[in-house]
Amino acid sequence: MLRPLHIALIELKRYLVNKGELGFSLALPIVLFALMYGAFGGEESFHATAEIVDLDQGIHARALINTLDAMDEITVRERTLDDANNALDRSAILTAVVIPAGFSGGLDRGEPVAITFRVRGNGGDTGQIVEAMVRSVAQQMASEARVAATVSNALSGTDIPQDRIDEVVSRKLSDSRQRPTVGVETRLIGDEAPDPVDRLVPGLLVMFLMFAVTLGANVLVEERQNGTMERLMTTRLGINQLFVGKFLASTLRAIVQALILLSLAFAVLRIGDALDFVELTLFSALVAMAVSAIGLVIGSVARTRDQAAWSAVFITMFMTVFGGTFFDVAGGGPLDALSRITLTRYAIDAMFGILAGGETLVQQGLAVAVLAGIAVIGLLIARAMFKVAGGGR
Amino acid sequence: MNGSDDFLTAQHLRKDFDGITAVDDVSFSIRRQEIFGLLGPNGAGKTTTIRMLSTVLNPDDGEVTIGGNSVTGEGDKVRQIIGVCPQELALYPELSATDNLVFFGRMAGLSGREAKGAADENLGRVGLLDRARDKVDNFSGGMKRRVNLAIALMSRPQLLFLDEPTVGIDPQSRNHIFETVDALRDAGMTVLYTTHYMEEADRLCDRLAIMDHGQIVRMGTPRDLKSEIGDPETVTLETVFLEHTGRSLRD
Repeated sequence: MLRPLHIALIELKRYLVNKGELGFSLALPIVLFALMYGAFGGEESFHATAEIVDLDQGIHARALINTLDAMDEITVRERTLDDANNALDRSAILTAVVIPAGFSGGLDRGEPVAITFRVRGNGGDTGQIVEAMVRSVAQQMASEARVAATVSNALSGTDIPQDRIDEVVSRKLSDSRQRPTVGVETRLIGDEAPDPVDRLVPGLLVMFLMFAVTLGANVLVEERQNGTMERLMTTRLGINQLFVGKFLASTLRAIVQALILLSLAFAVLRIGDALDFVELTLFSALVAMAVSAIGLVIGSVARTRDQAAWSAVFITMFMTVFGGTFFDVAGGGPLDALSRITLTRYAIDAMFGILAGGETLVQQGLAVAVLAGIAVIGLLIARAMFKVAGGGR
Repeated sequence: MNGSDDFLTAQHLRKDFDGITAVDDVSFSIRRQEIFGLLGPNGAGKTTTIRMLSTVLNPDDGEVTIGGNSVTGEGDKVRQIIGVCPQELALYPELSATDNLVFFGRMAGLSGREAKGAADENLGRVGLLDRARDKVDNFSGGMKRRVNLAIALMSRPQLLFLDEPTVGIDPQSRNHIFETVDALRDAGMTVLYTTHYMEEADRLCDRLAIMDHGQIVRMGTPRDLKSEIGDPETVTLETVFLEHTGRSLRD
């Protein structure tokens, strides 16, 4: 019963000792990821560090700093005035925001206050953006302070307690922040198109897993060409055991490569959480099984490496192009119908659902059934064709 | 032909490929502890015969029993008592000699420890124990041939098929293989040996059959075959071979 494992292990050992093949197969997902990152990694949102000197040390200065620090785009670094001046002199920074003493007191009194931007040259593009953001936050704070002071002054002398006035004003201002009078909405061109990374990562991952067609085909053809296939058939190894062993070997290799690609995509592009990663890994294993079984079907009838390679390339290309790797094929029409005979369509849709649709692996019943069915039926067909094609007993 | 001491009996074997008859009504038997030679020009049907005897191919007609087991009906039992050293090198060149032997030992049903022990024993038998951990790809042609033979011995077979085991190797390696085959026979093994080299057959084989065009054209001891055409002390086996297979060139 352990013979399939020995077959898989010897296959993996051959893979590991072949430095060239090993290096290429490990480098391939990294290169593929680099291309993916080159295409999409540059679309990260703006981020900068705001260099702030707080000479006020009052409540409003602290609130301003905290508000800026809470923004995704900005990280606050507080400096002393001397430190900031030195850094500016050395051009270590190009902009420093100085909150003057009396800033909080002035706001409380509803008086005009000023924030100083100390810049070197024009402050640089980043500095100018930071300056605009600080200005926007400060103006918001100033206008809220002015409203609070105005209301307070207007109601002074009435029997409404000051605490009550402060509470209501604070609540109203908070509501105003939550529901601004003028809202800003960002829409992607092409209406509500999904993030292309969410579509392309599954596409590339499945395309990569499709290479297991070639791996699966080669493990049988190489065995035949080495002469070891015939030798194995004179041992006590059952042909079913041979196929299970080769299936395991091909699947394991594909999973290792997919795992590299997936890890890089999650670590660098931050495309999902830990649960997404686990679910996509498990699903990738299922895809690898289905694809390996197809490879074994080719390997069971191919007589030469060329036959196996060209057949595998044709199937890989067909499924990659028509299965929705690079574009969405859903929505009816002949392409939609054609894509449904490819396993890539089911695999990509399921992975997209997990990654972008908030779905779980359990919800991918159809895709799981299709892929598991291909794996099982593929193995049975490969076994039958091996016999018919004269592979031996 | 069906003596009680026969370990292998082949009767009326036939195999066609795409309408071409590769083996045609071949019958012979091999006694226990006998080295039986199968001679013939290229395309005579030797390898096809061995493939049928070793359960790789099913004959279209005829019957073979090995150790009392039918090759077609009891293939699993037959595979437990045979070892095959194919004509082409059938090994994994990127792995070490030990890795190759241990793997095929496991396929033959040995445990890990048994396979390792048998690998050392057989590498010692073919004179390669000191190169056990080296990658086979770095071996000379003769060394690879010896590894090929050692793998065939991993199943501890009662019947060993050696299909042209000395093709393209140096005299030292060839001599080592002769000595190994002799020792195996002395240890109780039965051997079916095919070769193109007549002096090899003359030296090793107790009996031999000459095949041509898929049929056995002559069978007997080397001395008997030589006696048929002249003085056995002066006639060579090559003369006998050419007498029965003709002098025209073959592919």
